Amino acid sequence: MRTPNAALRCLAPCLVLVALPSFAAEPVDYAIDIKPIFERHCVSCHGAVRSQGGLRLDASQFLRTTGDSGGSVVPGDSASSVLLAALKGEGGYTRMPQDADPLPDAQIALIERWIAEGAVAPESEKADADPAEHWAFRPVARPTVPFSDESAGVIDAFVMERHDAAGVVPLAEAPRHTLLRRLYLDLIGLPPSPAELEAFLNDAAPDAYDRVVDRLLADPRHGERWGRHWMDVWRYSDWYGYGNELRNSQKHIWHWRDWIIESLNENQPYDRMVVEMLAADEVAPLDDDALRATGFLARNYYKFNRDVWLDRTVEHTGKAFLGLTFNCARCHDHLFDPISQRDHYAMRAFFEPHQVRLDPVDGDLDENKNGLPRVYDADLSTPTYLFVRGNDKQPDKDHPLAPELPKFFVPKTPTVESVALPPAAHYAGLRLEVREVLRRQADAEVAAADEAVRKMLLDGAVGSLAPGVLSASLAADRSVAEARLRAARLRRAALEMRISADDAKYANPPAAEADSLAVAAAKTERTAALAAADAEALAARKAQDEAQRKPAAEREKAIADAQKALDAAMKAIEAAKAELGKTDGNYSPLTTVYPSTSSGRRTRLANWIVDPANPLTARVAVNHVWTRHFGKPLVESMFDFGMHGSAPTDPELLDWLAAEFVASGWNFKHLHRLIVTSDTYRLNSTVAADHPSLAIDPDNRLLWHMNARRGEGEVIRDSMLAVAGRLDERMGGPELDAAADQTTARRSVYYRHAPEKYAPFLQAFDGASADECYLRAETVVPTQALAQVNSRITREESRSIAADLFGTGEATAADLIERAFKRVLCRAAASEERAACIAFLEDQEIRLANPSALTTLETGPDTSIEAAHSPRLRAFASLVHVLLNHHDFVTIR
Amino acid sequence: MSGFSSSVPSGLSRRHFLSRVGMGFGALAFDAMLARDGHYVSAGSLPSGIAHIAPKAKSVIWLFMIGGTSHLETFDPKPALNEFAGKTIEETPHKGVLEASYLSENLRVVVPNDANGQMRSTLYPLQVGFKKHGQSGIEVSDWLPHIATCVDDIAVVRSMWTTDNNHGAQLQFHTGRHSLDGNFPTVGSWIHYGLGSLNDNLPQFVVLGTPIADCCGGHNGHGSNYLGPEHAGVRLNVDARDPLPFASPPKGVFREEQAAEFELLSRLHRLAAEEDSDPALKARLNSYELAFRMQTAIPDLMNFAGETAETHDLYGTGDKETKTFAEQCLAARRMVERGVRFMQIFHGSNGGAGAWDGHSNLQTGHASLCRQTDQPIAGLLKDLKRRGLLDETLVVWGTEFGRTPGAQNSNGRDHHPFGFSVWMAGGGIKRGFVHGATDELGFHASEDRHYITDLHATVLHQLGLDPRKLDVTGRKRLEIDYGEPMHAIIA
Repeated sequence: MRTPNAALRCLAPCLVLVALPSFAAEPVDYAIDIKPIFERHCVSCHGAVRSQGGLRLDASQFLRTTGDSGGSVVPGDSASSVLLAALKGEGGYTRMPQDADPLPDAQIALIERWIAEGAVAPESEKADADPAEHWAFRPVARPTVPFSDESAGVIDAFVMERHDAAGVVPLAEAPRHTLLRRLYLDLIGLPPSPAELEAFLNDAAPDAYDRVVDRLLADPRHGERWGRHWMDVWRYSDWYGYGNELRNSQKHIWHWRDWIIESLNENQPYDRMVVEMLAADEVAPLDDDALRATGFLARNYYKFNRDVWLDRTVEHTGKAFLGLTFNCARCHDHLFDPISQRDHYAMRAFFEPHQVRLDPVDGDLDENKNGLPRVYDADLSTPTYLFVRGNDKQPDKDHPLAPELPKFFVPKTPTVESVALPPAAHYAGLRLEVREVLRRQADAEVAAADEAVRKMLLDGAVGSLAPGVLSASLAADRSVAEARLRAARLRRAALEMRISADDAKYANPPAAEADSLAVAAAKTERTAALAAADAEALAARKAQDEAQRKPAAEREKAIADAQKALDAAMKAIEAAKAELGKTDGNYSPLTTVYPSTSSGRRTRLANWIVDPANPLTARVAVNHVWTRHFGKPLVESMFDFGMHGSAPTDPELLDWLAAEFVASGWNFKHLHRLIVTSDTYRLNSTVAADHPSLAIDPDNRLLWHMNARRGEGEVIRDSMLAVAGRLDERMGGPELDAAADQTTARRSVYYRHAPEKYAPFLQAFDGASADECYLRAETVVPTQALAQVNSRITREESRSIAADLFGTGEATAADLIERAFKRVLCRAAASEERAACIAFLEDQEIRLANPSALTTLETGPDTSIEAAHSPRLRAFASLVHVLLNHHDFVTIR
Repeated sequence: MSGFSSSVPSGLSRRHFLSRVGMGFGALAFDAMLARDGHYVSAGSLPSGIAHIAPKAKSVIWLFMIGGTSHLETFDPKPALNEFAGKTIEETPHKGVLEASYLSENLRVVVPNDANGQMRSTLYPLQVGFKKHGQSGIEVSDWLPHIATCVDDIAVVRSMWTTDNNHGAQLQFHTGRHSLDGNFPTVGSWIHYGLGSLNDNLPQFVVLGTPIADCCGGHNGHGSNYLGPEHAGVRLNVDARDPLPFASPPKGVFREEQAAEFELLSRLHRLAAEEDSDPALKARLNSYELAFRMQTAIPDLMNFAGETAETHDLYGTGDKETKTFAEQCLAARRMVERGVRFMQIFHGSNGGAGAWDGHSNLQTGHASLCRQTDQPIAGLLKDLKRRGLLDETLVVWGTEFGRTPGAQNSNGRDHHPFGFSVWMAGGGIKRGFVHGATDELGFHASEDRHYITDLHATVLHQLGLDPRKLDVTGRKRLEIDYGEPMHAIIA
């Protein structure tokens, strides 16, 4: 079959809304009916990014002019239009879209009718952009700051310029109490205490605000607040599976969570963090602290399917660090971005050799108790194949792929150099703490065996007084115990010899006596094995004797069991003897020995990601930080900076921040400080309904006021506990049961977070999905109101706060209200609010004074803090409860 | 615009933020209320609460049997299995089923060489008898005597297929995607997303019974994934005392005490709203008022005191075996009356693959499970019908896959994704109708084959939704995700 027009080789399913055919027999409309079909099925191969055979269908001006056959559409003549022939696969043309399902007949008919009607389309329209010109793919160049006034910060200079251009008038600075609460919630996730608020309100020094910023950035709770943000982006998930079976992520992955929190607190440069997450095992192979970072990869573990596992790894490495959607290029070339299907699999090749393992923590070898989940390169020889149409049943085995960076960004990937790992990095047996644990275990075995013998001797002394069988049995017991003791002692000796042999073998250069020590260690180990087998044979013989004396009913089975045990022991003896005959030095290592070489692939990838010349990495990171301070992104499509992603609302500001971030040494705290000390950040958030700027910029794209944001579930829960003074501030450690979020008081970041294992309260407030959460939703729904109103924790904290503020009960209603507003909302009550609250307190107290007239609700949860007996105090707790539900409490204003 | 108009009356600004903040019970519900009152038709592709096409049904009751109900012992009798019982498929004239390309093309294996999900060659006879029922003469298993009396209201589809031979097919049945592809919005969440509320005091996508377990998709089986958490199914217990998490305040709080708190909160929020135009503030004010009404409305919903003894008997709430499912079906009817859009009722949860997973002892297992569900389902259909609700309520009965014609473990059947049955009733579906068929052995769906998204498309169509208009920008949907309505069964 001839394929006369390479131009129409198109493969492409895709997104974008499909227009439905018009109902009536109106003329076919190019914009409504035809263009969406082209966009959906054709332009990925015949557009700006790729124009196969020279054909482009991304804009009308190309229809009649491009393609090897000189125009694919002949107006009014569908029979001569190559486009139609190709779509039908007629006239010898390869059927398009190639390697994809044919277009539905109705769509082909529509195109045919459109051509027959004259192929009416605009003379020209906006063509898709050239990827080389795409803003996010161009190098970050630090833009000129549009303001030379040194008193204005850089952020403000950019923002004010746009205010002026649009004619919006920014709000004034937020009241100081609002500002302080905002700053606390943004930087540490908890509100200020009344004392901290008081101190700030009374601090007239010009640098009062800056000093608070510095203090909060140095506060360890900052890492807990921002750790949770990055855990969203990096897809933190505790392990999950079916019952106790691990299917996803890793047990003890909390070590990675602690690394995130600690790294942020230590202000680790972001570039270093990225490198450690992708390749700490290569760049810091002996640094257990850094190795925790590779939880980023270990989290993708999926028991059942390696392809799914690696697909997710590629997808989320791309989305999290680069804002690139490699996942769209798994089955075909990317529809919009210059990422070929081959690029997708070449990216996979960087990860192909890696696997996950648990390293002992503090020498503890019990993987159920603890362990460090980390990655390592297990097999350097596994090939990577492109899957034809993404089908894992069709690997293209003729063309194994090397690890290569996307060609559009890096035409030629620099050579990947393998990494020789130090011995202790691939063999935990060399670690002192592991040896110590093994020695202690072996010592304990010897002690236990010794104790058993001693017990026999004592029993024997007694038993010897008795006649006959008893003493014979005791003698047998004793010889078993003695044989076991001998075996335990030999094992202990062998352990020491294996350690000596290890020391000699792994010395650099290996010690001269390494071989002889190895032979000696192997011999002792084999002797110990024989001794153990001997002991078990003795035990089996004894059991055989005893079986004869069992009651008839049990005898037969006991004899058979004993015989089985004896057979096994004899077999073990034979095997041990055979082993003992060997003279080699193959003693068993203390722990698993992993490969001593790593491919270096992930280091190569990581170094490209954090290369200051990479146009994406800093922009993506800066956007994440900005979003979580302002509640709205500069680039709305958080994980897609590609050509169909959103354009930045303020490209110069984004680029300046990105350039500054890199120049500062990828310094997060510097970036936070820049943002929160800007005037823009400090603007008021309360907008009157008749504010004139609302008409110009209702969505606040120009940042003429601060965005009020709903706090995340974590902020709401932690703040309630903190306001009550009951927050348990211990940091780090194993994840806590998700359901315990109502009954314990640790910070929310420490509760189990995995699909099916979310804390219900946190999840009600649009909690992060552990599968993917580059930006949290911010909804307001009644189930949130129910959680906040009816949760045990809200009721308990309200009672605790009320009791604390109530004191001896002499305060006036107005005083109590003042205290409660300040404590819970960090502000004073307005006079109308005060009046409403006073009336409430009076009514509620009267109501509660006559409980027999009231209806008790008995279906909800228990509480650990009982309601007060005093109607006045209980009414006050009721008021505090209302304030904990107030918009101003759950909102970061 | 093509096919539907877009007029937004002046004075109603549709600020993006409002529409985002208020999703679910906020702005979307608000939109729906306006639409319901005939105020306006929303613009463009934003979900609007407005049907794309004339709706036939208002509500859906989606009954899901967890574990894989045998099509061969319920709605798709195959006498050939009795004829060739004990023979291998190769020994029968129907051995061609083993060469069908469906076997390799349609199957995506998750756990290779698993003990289950294998070809079972030795044919296993039918474990129950069948009789023709009603005017339509549709054959129904003797284990389902009550449903048999409703068969003239039902359209049975005998030609479903799916691609997972393990219980990830439960997730797939609801999202349309194989579990290896990940998690996607479920059919109920699309409906919630696409249609507005008919009752502002109740959640619109309700889940009854214990959902599928972690092994098989867990909460993603009633999740909403990228549509956002507000569109996910809300689990309710048929228990007026404890219908949903956080439904009632801690023990000992007085009703009047809490009512006063709600009142003060509203007062304070209204005061704040005088100064502040933040739409989130108004949405919050609204959400608390709705929450307060829900606190009453949901327990009321689950309080069956007003139902007659005759109604209770109809569903079988008094019988130990049928009680649980009967109460769930009765609750579903009460929700239909109150305008809940989508009720997803699970039967057969056992913390794992599901009770219907009849690898062994299929006869005793299925007989008992059928008994637990038969009368409640029939009661539901009859009750809806006599109240005139069946015409606007679509009842769907389904399961993740069928079971093998061959025997497993001497007295069971294995997972069978290649052909199985579902049925629908009411909501503009043909009555007493059989659509599609499997081959003589009940192996492959052979006539009018339907992948599971065709079922989704049918349900959406009856509600007036076109799945192709429910795309979300930036979220790629494959052709197979949309499905095609089963036009043959639409009345």
